[in-house]
Amino acid sequence: MAQEQTSLLQGTLDLLILKALALQEMHGLGISRRLEQITGGTFQVKPGSLFPALHRMEEEGWLTSSWGESENNRRAKYYRLTKVGQKQLATETERWGRISLAMAQALEAS
Amino acid sequence: MSFFPRIRHLFRNLWRKQDQENELSSEISSYLDGLTDEKIAAGMNPERARREARVELGGIEQVKEQVREVQAGRWFETLAQDLRYGLRILVRNPGFSAMVALTLALGIGANTAIFSTVYGVLLRPLPYAHGGQLVVLHQQASHAQLANVPFSVKELFDYRDFNHSLDALVEYHSMTFLLLGDNSAERVQTAIVSANFFDVLGIKPLLGRTFLPSDDTPQADPVLVMSYEYWQHQGGDRNIVGKTFRMNDRPHTVIGVLPPFPQYPAQNDIYTPTVQCPFRSSAAVIGNRQARLLTVFGRLKPGVSLQSARADLSTVAHQVATSYPEIYPSSYGYAAVIAPLREELTQRARSTLLVLLGAAGFVLLIACANVANLLLARLLKREREFAIRTALGAGRLRLARQLLTETIVLALSGGLLGLALASPALSLLVKFAERFTARAAEVRIDGTVLAFTFLVSLATGVLFGLLPALSVGAPVSDALKQGSAQTTSGRGRQRLRAALVVLQIAVSFVLLIGAGLMLHSFLRLQKVDPGFSADRVLTLQLTPDFTHYAKPEQLRELGDNILGRIRAVGGIESAALATNFPFNPAGVTSGPGNIAFEIEGQPVSKGELAPQVDPTYVSPGYFETIRQPLLQGRLFSDHDDPEALKVGVINQVMARHRWPAEDPVGRRVSFDQGKTWIKIVGVVGDAREYGLDHPAKDEFYTPVAQSGVGTNLVVRTIVDPDRIAPIIRSALHDVDPYMAVDQVETLEHLRSESVASPRVTTILLGLFAALALVISTSGIVGIMALSVTQRTRELGIRMALGQSKSSVVQMVVRQGLAVAVAGTALGLVGAFSIGRLLSSLLFETSSTDAATFAAISLLFIAVAAFSCFVPARRATLIDPFTALRQE
Repeated sequence: MAQEQTSLLQGTLDLLILKALALQEMHGLGISRRLEQITGGTFQVKPGSLFPALHRMEEEGWLTSSWGESENNRRAKYYRLTKVGQKQLATETERWGRISLAMAQALEAS
Repeated sequence: MSFFPRIRHLFRNLWRKQDQENELSSEISSYLDGLTDEKIAAGMNPERARREARVELGGIEQVKEQVREVQAGRWFETLAQDLRYGLRILVRNPGFSAMVALTLALGIGANTAIFSTVYGVLLRPLPYAHGGQLVVLHQQASHAQLANVPFSVKELFDYRDFNHSLDALVEYHSMTFLLLGDNSAERVQTAIVSANFFDVLGIKPLLGRTFLPSDDTPQADPVLVMSYEYWQHQGGDRNIVGKTFRMNDRPHTVIGVLPPFPQYPAQNDIYTPTVQCPFRSSAAVIGNRQARLLTVFGRLKPGVSLQSARADLSTVAHQVATSYPEIYPSSYGYAAVIAPLREELTQRARSTLLVLLGAAGFVLLIACANVANLLLARLLKREREFAIRTALGAGRLRLARQLLTETIVLALSGGLLGLALASPALSLLVKFAERFTARAAEVRIDGTVLAFTFLVSLATGVLFGLLPALSVGAPVSDALKQGSAQTTSGRGRQRLRAALVVLQIAVSFVLLIGAGLMLHSFLRLQKVDPGFSADRVLTLQLTPDFTHYAKPEQLRELGDNILGRIRAVGGIESAALATNFPFNPAGVTSGPGNIAFEIEGQPVSKGELAPQVDPTYVSPGYFETIRQPLLQGRLFSDHDDPEALKVGVINQVMARHRWPAEDPVGRRVSFDQGKTWIKIVGVVGDAREYGLDHPAKDEFYTPVAQSGVGTNLVVRTIVDPDRIAPIIRSALHDVDPYMAVDQVETLEHLRSESVASPRVTTILLGLFAALALVISTSGIVGIMALSVTQRTRELGIRMALGQSKSSVVQMVVRQGLAVAVAGTALGLVGAFSIGRLLSSLLFETSSTDAATFAAISLLFIAVAAFSCFVPARRATLIDPFTALRQE
């Protein structure tokens, strides 16, 4: 059921979320902040994009979620990479590398 | 890879919807809380922090909806919504919904019933093991116009021994014998078969066993197997195996009972091995290559194709023909052919059933077009609803989908109703199909038929829903303008509706032409002069115990006794015995006989094709009884006994065929290569012996006393023949209590039976055509009425400006007629091109019969003019003032 072709933007967001979760499990706001941090503030993900992406990725089987305590002692839903998700991260990273290289070459060519 | 997690989520989304929703709410509020905490930590006051957090989030409900959109099972959700909404709309318009469902039910019901028959008869695999590999063998002599010559025992052995493509050859023939129980005597149709018969067909007995090779040896004890039907008729005793019945003067032990199955080649009461048939086992039959009485079928060896088997059998036929050139002269065009058993069984039913299926399909098509039209009309009323929904953000696709869901719900309920209508119709159809094929017994509504009905209903819904669905999505602003009753999108839709009506009329026209042609052909068939008079004639089949009448003179005496006794019964005009009579069901099934003869003075040289004739033995009084007129010479009398000169009577066809210029009376012919000669003493008129649609062939009649035995009693009565039948029965019982008497029928009934299948086909096609006409008439009325309603204002202005009422009527009628004429013209083209399919069912009627075409065209124009007249009259009643004030 996986979409054959994820659009560039959606693919980008997916890759960033996978990357953000690669080290540790996190809740939605945490992911949001982490993305801002690792992209140097370039990507500010709105909840309207973040949550659909998280739920979709969970249904794809890349992520799994569980409820836990946040740093402020609030209940929060934590997302974690699955094995499939790790594999997906690897594939997507490799693909992104190819695309960015190609894009860079294309733009440099006069 | 991600299939299983998605399935798991799908279940959770659908069945634990509430949990899912609660979790989503908590997740989002926890995000909001987190965001607020951040802002407070950054020094903002709590209230402001909460407000800014909400702004940053951008609407809780929107986020939730965006999440729901990506969740698996969203599709089901929408469908369920559409269904709920659709059902509500349908229930709110019960009249409309009922009308649509009923129209579709008629169409779908007709299709289901006919498809069940087509499937059961033509498509379902034969109920025999390896049914696809069973083939029937035929010998042909194409130059002698003989397409299906039975096999002699010697021929069967040749084909059995020399072929390389068939696993087993089975022989079959059927005789009528007398079966004597403890205190009963019944004529039984007896199949005489080789021991492998049941094994090749793969039929396992219900009780006991079937035949073993040892049962078919000359020393074997006589045994018989009962058909399921005859066993039931005998009382269905489960302990019948081991009981004995006397037949042909020998005790036969019942060894088994068959399950109920479609019997091939014909329905029989009992089965016995070949050695038990006195004729088949006589040296005269076994030793005579030309004593042909057997039907032969076999099973292809695994992996052998029909083509290669055909080639193989041609080789054998060539071998046989060259070995006995005097029996198979090259002038006969001798050949052996095979046909798949399935084709053989269903050949006669095929064209009729396919024509009916086509007609039913057409009716459904018309019903679809009509319903689509109703829907389009209703869309006019719902235009505002759709406009509002569009304005609120519903996409065109979403609206189309909503409409399609509604129509499919309608179609499926129509299908369900149709299924209910189909089952009573089916039992009638099965009775009809029985006339053509033994497979009719297999017809029933099963899984395949249900699947068919479901798919047809679904397709119907899509078909009639698609057009209206595609037409939604008019410019919003127009539709929403207050007080505007008509919208600009109306014109395109009006054209679509007109096109649908044209289609309906065209298809109805084709159907009506079909029904008209069938009716024409049927009336022609009814008008055929059969060449005899059928009223007040009773026919009976007699089966004496032949073992008690072994000598010819004993049989002759029996015949004399029967006629003497019957003629003494009051209320009888005349009586006679014959081997065959017109419309005799047995005769009609087997077709005319073809016996070679020789005309005195015209010897047939070796290798030349001898003349052929259909022989009948009749007692004196036969021609008088059925009123077959004498044209020349004399008829038979009691003086034409065995000692007298051998005489014969021929029919007119034969007289013209063989003696075109001379007087046939006084000529002599021989049936035994000149050993004995028969003098022709008279010529009678032509009787259609084998059905009204079969022109008379050469017939040769000889007196029973000089030829053999006639077991059909033909009686002309003065009173009602049905009332006298029991008296005749008891009189026959007086002559010989052990003589079976059955197939007691009036000739009138047999005559009407002989045209029953064209009659039923005509009635069915007529019904379909009438249904089509009614549906399309309502289509014309509907479209015209709507058009008048929509043009109320225009017509009002016209009348206010002085246009006369009659010219308004003319205008409206002209518009309707244009549609009708266009439909008729299209229908004419269709009828011309597909009428040919009917031609195999037509009797002396061309498939482009001008009278039929003209009559149906006129009928259509008249019906169309009439259906336009009603709305047109309504147009004249428009009051210009009211019309103008409507806006």
